[in-house]
Amino acid sequence: NGAAFSKVRGSQSGQDSTRWHVVRKFLGLISSHNIPVYLIDPLILGLVDKDIEQIRSSPDGPSPQCKYFCAPRDFTTFALLDKTWKHEVGLFRTAEKMGFQWLKIINKDPRLDGMDDLSGMEIPLHYIFKLASHAIHLVVFYERSGNYLWHGPLRLKQHMDRKFVPFRKLHFGRYPGAYEKPELLHVSIDDLKVQIPKNPSSFLEEISHSRFLECRYREARAFFQLYPDDASLDAVEFRKKAKSLLHLAALTLNNLGVKFWLSSGTCLGWYRQCNVIPHSKDVDLGIFIRDYKAEIIPAFQKAGLPLKHKFGKVEDSLELSFQGEDDVKLDIFFFYEEDDHIWNGGTQAKSGKKFKYLFPKFTLCWTEFVELKVHVPCETLQYVEANYGPGWKVPVKAWDWKSSPSNVQNNGVWPVDEWDDVIQIY
Amino acid sequence: MDEWKPNPAVKPHKKRSWYLAWKYKLMNQRALRKLCQTGAVLFLLVTVIVNIKLILDTRRAAYEEEEESAQDYDDEMLNVAVPRHPVNNKKVLDVEVYSSRSKVYVAVDGTTVLEDEAREQGRGIHVIVLNQATGHVMAKRVFDTYSPHEDEAMVLFLNMVARGRILIFTIKDEGSFHLKDTAKNVLKSLGSQVAPFLSWRDMWTFVGKKGGEVYGEKHAKSPALSTWGDPVLLKTEVHLTSVEDAECHWPDTELNRRRKRFCSKVEGYGSVCSCKDPTPIEFNPDPLKDNKVFDVPVAVIAGNRPNYLYRMLRSLLSAQGVNPQMITVFIDGYYEEPMDVVELFGLSGIQHTPISIKNARVSQHYKASLTATFNLFPDAKFAVVLEEDLDISVDFFSFLSQSIHLLEEDESLYCISAWNDQGYEHTAEDPSLLYRVETMPGLGWVLRKNLYKDELEPKWPTPEKLWDWDMWMRMPEQRKGRECIIPDISRSYHFGIVGLNMNGYFHEAYFKKHKFNTVPNVQLKNVESLRKDAYETEILRLLGEAEVLDHSKNPCEDSFVPDTEGKVYVVFIRMEQEADFTTWTQLAKCLHIWDLDVRGNHKGLWRLFRKKNHFLVVGVPASPYSSKKPSSVTPIYMEPPAKEEGAVAVPAVAAAEQT
Repeated sequence: NGAAFSKVRGSQSGQDSTRWHVVRKFLGLISSHNIPVYLIDPLILGLVDKDIEQIRSSPDGPSPQCKYFCAPRDFTTFALLDKTWKHEVGLFRTAEKMGFQWLKIINKDPRLDGMDDLSGMEIPLHYIFKLASHAIHLVVFYERSGNYLWHGPLRLKQHMDRKFVPFRKLHFGRYPGAYEKPELLHVSIDDLKVQIPKNPSSFLEEISHSRFLECRYREARAFFQLYPDDASLDAVEFRKKAKSLLHLAALTLNNLGVKFWLSSGTCLGWYRQCNVIPHSKDVDLGIFIRDYKAEIIPAFQKAGLPLKHKFGKVEDSLELSFQGEDDVKLDIFFFYEEDDHIWNGGTQAKSGKKFKYLFPKFTLCWTEFVELKVHVPCETLQYVEANYGPGWKVPVKAWDWKSSPSNVQNNGVWPVDEWDDVIQIY
Repeated sequence: MDEWKPNPAVKPHKKRSWYLAWKYKLMNQRALRKLCQTGAVLFLLVTVIVNIKLILDTRRAAYEEEEESAQDYDDEMLNVAVPRHPVNNKKVLDVEVYSSRSKVYVAVDGTTVLEDEAREQGRGIHVIVLNQATGHVMAKRVFDTYSPHEDEAMVLFLNMVARGRILIFTIKDEGSFHLKDTAKNVLKSLGSQVAPFLSWRDMWTFVGKKGGEVYGEKHAKSPALSTWGDPVLLKTEVHLTSVEDAECHWPDTELNRRRKRFCSKVEGYGSVCSCKDPTPIEFNPDPLKDNKVFDVPVAVIAGNRPNYLYRMLRSLLSAQGVNPQMITVFIDGYYEEPMDVVELFGLSGIQHTPISIKNARVSQHYKASLTATFNLFPDAKFAVVLEEDLDISVDFFSFLSQSIHLLEEDESLYCISAWNDQGYEHTAEDPSLLYRVETMPGLGWVLRKNLYKDELEPKWPTPEKLWDWDMWMRMPEQRKGRECIIPDISRSYHFGIVGLNMNGYFHEAYFKKHKFNTVPNVQLKNVESLRKDAYETEILRLLGEAEVLDHSKNPCEDSFVPDTEGKVYVVFIRMEQEADFTTWTQLAKCLHIWDLDVRGNHKGLWRLFRKKNHFLVVGVPASPYSSKKPSSVTPIYMEPPAKEEGAVAVPAVAAAEQT
């Protein structure tokens, strides 16, 4: 197919066709070693997305012109699932024979990071194949507990060539990232057969929110040195229940498409000890009020979690509480965004008193917690400190949600005529 | 393995080396004494300005060619004055070897590569192998030749060491009691003059090149049975050869690169490092059709027994249906050599910083390994757990592939194990037969992820508990009445002798005669009948067809079972309640099967083979199968022997130590 196409390509500038050639060579290289990669390049996927219907409908059709792979850029980014290849050294020898220069970025295996004192072999996180003026960035994705894919950060070691490629322009590697396992589609783009995510636009959306935070395992270990973990049967049982409640809540909210994050004690447990705090007695989640959906309550009830109480209303201080198994409860706090801060509300049932908990603004990151891919505030330390004060590192068993938090403010009292609506207890 | 590099600028010993040479000549060439003395004094003066390496070479030449040593000296002396740098790259190692009752050590160029003065351990012959080109320590072993069969292990080891390697021997405490002639002859063939006469509590050190020269030997005889020979210290020097001479020239392939890396570092693995005809390190066994365990991760739990690990991985990688990508070796400690073995086979390995002590350490290592396995393979529903001292049957994965769905579907199952505690040569017969048992044999088993994640991991014994992980897993709080599926003929073989949990006698008595399946592709029969309820139907059917043996005879006698084949027999023994194993234990003892604790039972029923007949033992009245006992039959009762001193304590301890 190259002959017919090269005529068309003749009209493209030399630079443009170089990119196409390098991609073609790279695809030839990896297919000769039976390594399944897929395209994750944001720029090309953006172009592809515009024509996705047409590309889907004619997966083998010839292209009239080089529309995608000739687009100006420094890199083309592909993804590789680690478990689909065997790390054969032969790949790199073939690459060299074809004229590629390559660079491998390895680092610690995060799947062993949470483990006490295990040291495995370092794992490859990124490869860069350079030919002429173009480079291929191959991002290695790993499956992790929580049914998601993870890629590592790109960090250069001391001896590495900092000018191998303009690293700062790479789309992947500034932070580690977490992704759903994508459904893939075989397509032909610019006469090159590649795999792409079945739904490029949702994948592009995913890229923009993909930043992943690893739990602070080392600090968590240090914490447990100071405060040995509660290994009593009660603690084991509570953790087990909290974990399954969190799994159920995540399933329910994800099905509704409602974004949530670990809040309060659950967030503290993740940040401080990478585990559920055994004496916390509940699971706390946060949701932006803009993401509120009326279906939330029925969905939880359907999942077997009856509503325990509902405080506040959508316009002000909304808070839901569901009854899980054996006294473990799920609290969902709704967060209201202001110009310079974010807050959520609290209500004392017997007095109708309102409370306000203030947080600095934050964005959301992915993390892994009890075998679940969940959101936490990226600026976790500020979040935790706002809530628990500078002494958050010390476990406190006697916690009063009305007075203990360092960010609590009195917020008046609900008018009595609204009580029936804003204080519902079941 | 100790990281050690020879120090080319050897200075501190020059005086001693000169002295040795001088002394040597005094003894052997009295006629030349005067000349030597003069030469030596001159030599001493010259050493200040000449290159030390050449001088050592010179001395070596003198050492080797006794007749002309003086002339050699002179010739070399003339040469010495000319080049500041040596004409060749030969290097010399100073080796010190010490042997005594309570301490041994070996120092190479001033670096201690072995030091053992621990009480109550390290008895026997310590052997160190050095690379003849680099001086690296390639292997370090101790053979307790005071005890039986250790000399055989030593012979095996020495035979596996490549020609040209440097061997260093030293005795700690006692090394001759079970050092048989075969072993003595091997030592003699290495050039030892003393070995054939080594006797009770002698001290001995020896340094030589395999298939080459002897660098030194010292010996101190024990004067009396009750005392040890005087400590001996051997100081000698060893000349290094070139790297090319010490390496093989295999074709340059990916596999051979791994092999080369391995063989230049460690020793004692025999034909894998043979220059001429190296044994393969890739096995490519036949794949399994419809392999249900292809994606099941395999965790190999290892300590610092690299030779065991080597043997284990060979058998594992040769098993049909193996998927090397799913194998992870977990090494308890920062040991290099086990990691070298892992890399030789192109597998992935993980090292684990030891925490806690003894059994608790093993237990913590297990936990870390299992957790890591499920982290690394988040999709896995199961993990296969193996240990470094197991041989794996050729149909191991086939066996699991045919049975694993039971573990997924039958909640009443705890594990599938490849090991039958009661499957000895004389008690196991049918490779296609499976049992359900209330005990958890371990030794090659499958763990369900949700069992681990939901139940075991959260309450795994903490380090201070000092519990055996397997004893803990067998406790009713964990097992909760669930059972394991085992084969009649084991799919693993426990070859481990040395280690935390085993002593030689113990292994001999309880493990050596275990039956191990060597038949490939065994089609398991009636797998579905292993499900909870189906199994009861199956047992009742078996009992219904079983012939009741003559209960007036002695069940220990061979004649108790008729000389038939393929029949089913049943015997009823007394078992007052669920935990009454008095008669069973006596029966197990006389049948020469596992009797240290109760294994292999299912509701008061044991199944085994005698004389190729299926042999069922029912405990009456505790077993629900007691109803099958004809009213005329009186259950057999066997009394435990009268207690002798220690007789009870020993099995109890041994049982606790069994893995």
